[in-house]
Amino acid sequence: MAADMLLILIFQLLVFPGFAAAFFAGFLYMGLSRKIAAHMQHRIGPPVRQPFYDFIKLMSKENITTKGTIGVLATLCPVVSFASMMTVLMFIPIAGFQLISFPGSVFVVIYFLIMSSAFFAIAGFAAGNPFATVGSIREITQLFSYEFPFIVSLITIGLLTGFQIVPYSAIGFPFALFAFFMGVLGKLMLPPFHIPEAEQEIVAGPLTEYSGPRLALFELARAAGYWTLVSLGAVFFLGASDIITFIVYSAVMLLALIIFRTVFARIRIDQAFRLYWFVVAPLALIDLIRVMVGMY
Amino acid sequence: MHDYFLPFGPQHPALAEPMHIKLRVDGETIVGSELVLGYNHKGIEKSFEARPWVKGVYLSERVCGICGHYHTSCYCQGIESLMGLEIPERAEYIRLIIAEVERLHSHLFGLGIVAWEIGLDTLFHYIFRDRELVMDTQELLTGNRVHFVMNVIGGVRRDFSLGQAREVERALKKLEDRVDYYLGIFRNDASVKNRLRHIGYLSKPKAKQFTPVGPNVRASGIDYDVRETGYSAYKHLEFKPIIGQGGDALERCLIRLKECKQSIGLIRASLANMDRLPKETSLKIPAAINIRQGLETVSRVEAPRGELLYYIRSAGDRPYRVKIRTPTYQTFHALEEMLKGYAIADVPVILASLDPCFSCTDRMTLIDDKTRKERIVTKHEILHMGGGSHGR
Repeated sequence: MAADMLLILIFQLLVFPGFAAAFFAGFLYMGLSRKIAAHMQHRIGPPVRQPFYDFIKLMSKENITTKGTIGVLATLCPVVSFASMMTVLMFIPIAGFQLISFPGSVFVVIYFLIMSSAFFAIAGFAAGNPFATVGSIREITQLFSYEFPFIVSLITIGLLTGFQIVPYSAIGFPFALFAFFMGVLGKLMLPPFHIPEAEQEIVAGPLTEYSGPRLALFELARAAGYWTLVSLGAVFFLGASDIITFIVYSAVMLLALIIFRTVFARIRIDQAFRLYWFVVAPLALIDLIRVMVGMY
Repeated sequence: MHDYFLPFGPQHPALAEPMHIKLRVDGETIVGSELVLGYNHKGIEKSFEARPWVKGVYLSERVCGICGHYHTSCYCQGIESLMGLEIPERAEYIRLIIAEVERLHSHLFGLGIVAWEIGLDTLFHYIFRDRELVMDTQELLTGNRVHFVMNVIGGVRRDFSLGQAREVERALKKLEDRVDYYLGIFRNDASVKNRLRHIGYLSKPKAKQFTPVGPNVRASGIDYDVRETGYSAYKHLEFKPIIGQGGDALERCLIRLKECKQSIGLIRASLANMDRLPKETSLKIPAAINIRQGLETVSRVEAPRGELLYYIRSAGDRPYRVKIRTPTYQTFHALEEMLKGYAIADVPVILASLDPCFSCTDRMTLIDDKTRKERIVTKHEILHMGGGSHGR
């Protein structure tokens, strides 16, 4: 019996919903969003498998540490960023697969999601490049902007589920859903919130000095982020409980992300700050208060 | 937080050409900037002096890739005035039509870049798709998509047929719809306005002080357009420059879009007027032109980015000096004023809203590599540089 449990555990960790799923589904999400966005913009776009090619190419390249970069940190940051996303994944019941579940796991999820973003910013500070520094400052600022409404939205639903991540349909709480969605846009740095890595302004932001395997690991962390956050949305906010609903709701979530990506121009960091604190946060609080009043 | 230097260029994703702005930044706010040119100097002005007049036409086309036709127009116009030639009216109209088609292309190009700089890739791709229509028109009329080589001294190289004119009309109709659509976007889309409004503001007095040209100065409420002087065929057409009062990046974009509509109108009117004219497009000019030594002229045209000025002085069978003042050079004086106080995020937007062209603007400074001091080149020295007509 114990051996069976161990096998299942290893399967979940390494295959589904863990490492392999994050790798394939994450890169697939990235490839799909690039392809669909390309068609929306009247161009052909790269093949869906392009992110896989990129990953393999980057992995096979030489590892370069530029002058002024703290090498240990530069290697550690993408690994920790990826690992925190994988940890979050263990708490999400994807189509019945769930590794750990206990009341209060919502807070662990919040914590590890912040870890992932924070280490992205630290990677920029470790690079010793002015563009990377500006990018990291922006990443931290953005983190402080979207994190509050994002946490409020998770707590709103958490109050109803005993702070445990279970399939729950939050359609009745549109503002919480909206705040969560905006948080995901910020966390994945998708337009209009691709401020920390605005190519036209600060080259590649925190990742300016990164190349080769380290950049590949960051890409992997981002792919894991796609997979984790889209799954979290599909399960915790849209209520996907089996494999079919999970796929459908994930697709809905991904499509919404792509539409945002094609429709909006990038906003400035001060505008993002104002938007999150003065528009999204009050809306998220409305639903939180509704839940609290209803409960107590 | 202490201020620090952020190098914007010479190699930067927002710049298509090498140019360097040293930004003094405090957090995200710009407190000062210094423009460094000279990465792209081609030595074209000097090269004119080593060539006979006719070969200068091809050289002037290569000053710029986007507004090459304006350079040849300006150069040919100058030589024609030195020689006292009156080119056929049909040739004037053809020059105007190509110029306005090129203006359409240049403005759409510039607006596409603005869309890209504000991170709205969709609009960028839309505009660039529609720019293809203009490119096709250019190919239809001249045989080339860039560098048309339409101008020769004394007229133009090719004539249009009626069929070609009809094709152009069809393309213009489509384009007009698209330009209206983009006008709607730039006027009403909150996401676009959010990034462009009140950015890179240049007040009317400041605009007078720094004298930028073209849409950049017209957006600050100053009525300045060389086309009003009625050079070439503009004297036969009704023309009124488009002026805006906003002075910010959004106003500059709107002015460009309105000018696109105006260009479409001008091309239509020219095509209609051209019908009745005799099919003569060029005067017969001998290849070896000789102009009395010391004769000089200033020739001006309105390029998409503003006033383009050629000063030409003759040395007999070739120019003694050709001095080109490109519009972007004139506009860059105001750049520091426009950047001050805005965020790093606004730098590419402000730059793109000026629609700069670096390669034709480039200047160089001689710096002694031992003492690191700048040195002024004397007239005598420059005359003997590069083996021009006077060096030998």
